[in-house]
Amino acid sequence: MTERVAITGIGVVTPIGIGIADFTEALRAGCSGARWITAFNCEGFETQIAAEVDDRRFDAGSYVEPRKMVKHMSRSAAFAVAAAAMARRESRLRPGEVDPYRMAVSLGAGGMGPVDLDLLTGQGVAAIASARGQESDELDIPAFAREFRARTNPISVLRGLPNLAAAHLAIQQDARGPNNTITTACSAGTQAIGEGLRAIQRGDADVVFAGGTDAMINPVGVLGFSMLGTLSQRNDDPEHASRPFDASRDGFVIGEGAAIMVLEREAVARARGATVLAELAGYGCTCDAYRITDERPGAEAAVRAIRLCLEDAGASAADIAYINAHGTGTQMNDVTETTAVKTAFNGSGLPPMSSTKSMIGHLLAAAGAVELAATVTGMLHDFLPPTINFEVPDPACEVDCVPNAARSARMGAALSNSFGFGGQNACLMIRRW
Amino acid sequence: MPDDPSLVATGDLTGPVRGIVADVLMVSRADVQPDTSLGALGAESIDFLDLIFRIEEVIGKKVPVSRWEAFINARLPGADLSRAITLAIVVEFAEQERNRT
Repeated sequence: MTERVAITGIGVVTPIGIGIADFTEALRAGCSGARWITAFNCEGFETQIAAEVDDRRFDAGSYVEPRKMVKHMSRSAAFAVAAAAMARRESRLRPGEVDPYRMAVSLGAGGMGPVDLDLLTGQGVAAIASARGQESDELDIPAFAREFRARTNPISVLRGLPNLAAAHLAIQQDARGPNNTITTACSAGTQAIGEGLRAIQRGDADVVFAGGTDAMINPVGVLGFSMLGTLSQRNDDPEHASRPFDASRDGFVIGEGAAIMVLEREAVARARGATVLAELAGYGCTCDAYRITDERPGAEAAVRAIRLCLEDAGASAADIAYINAHGTGTQMNDVTETTAVKTAFNGSGLPPMSSTKSMIGHLLAAAGAVELAATVTGMLHDFLPPTINFEVPDPACEVDCVPNAARSARMGAALSNSFGFGGQNACLMIRRW
Repeated sequence: MPDDPSLVATGDLTGPVRGIVADVLMVSRADVQPDTSLGALGAESIDFLDLIFRIEEVIGKKVPVSRWEAFINARLPGADLSRAITLAIVVEFAEQERNRT
């Protein structure tokens, strides 16, 4: 039998709470993290709401040594580094207890954060404006290059690379083993944790810092998702804008943050007497390989990911007490996901399935990691996190979505789903230790 | 303590460069003395790019990074660069670049 993998620490930076204790209380209370956007002037934007991390409560510098490293981090890298520091503290893994070369990083990450955009895009746009020819609209590339070089601090170039968040995490944690970044959009966090599980199972590492991070509440990020028609435009009522499975849902609320877990080989966790939060028991992933934004009919590939995850854990559908849905709150996702879980659970009663995105927002590359964190803490504290803002049932989404209030329940095992644009489907299973 | 702008054109650049080094390495000015090793304060190669970019802003002209590298190789031959570069060395370079005609 394969050796088990334990989750021994969790750190979160989210719109509803920083640190697992505050996050747990917010989930239990059904708090919304959605507000009017403060990160930039969004006047005239179709969507003017988001779930931001409160900068008055988040000081990246307090998690970083030496302090100047903060300057080299994008906002998303800083979130990941902070979440990893919290997870490490909870795991009580001391320096030297595990060979640094046996400590890996597996991180779901997206693009650049707003700080990078100020430095790169902001100055880039200024450079473009002054390099545009008088007689034609074509960009004068040599003039652009001169202007860009004059205006742009070279350190901002490195800050924008997607792999740098995982590099910073490794520097801070002295994790010298395999260091991977997964960029499968909305399923990245889930896949990164799944691939972290595999890194331990195949023997490449004994400890993995696994999770996801993202920070896309910037003009380009919000405009982009808005142009794709995926964002809620309920600007007059942000706290009620994210309403997965509700008939009046009109898209997701973009969020930002990170969750990192310390995954550990069972023997290593036992040898050092670690407190185990849950077993990371299974992982399944597939790709639709069909269309960019549409799923295969019958959600066939998503169904397969869920079944592969159950098989991987040696579990059956009947063992599952709770599903944390991808549950974005777009019209299409929630219908397709309902179809997928019903098909995957064919013959077994469908367990409660809630969307914590109703509270946290959609954290994109961090979503799956933050949602697994919500699932683990629910298992530890015997409650199912709710789907808030559920008022009008949608006949196409007939699930018990734990409407509006957390429910006391003891979970033996639970799933967390993530589906990305591009067709990547991923599912994780945790089991009570 | 504000730096007198007229001094930047002709005088000792120790004050402004000390401020830049403190900003770049996110330490206090008091931690940056003329013989302080920047490496000991955590500086790595990327930080010197940041440093040169900010020196350019103070002296008002572009400084190719290659010139910094040539200066260091000539000034500190064979030295352990992670230790040997001090505030005084950076000031010397900044003044040399400012005075270049």
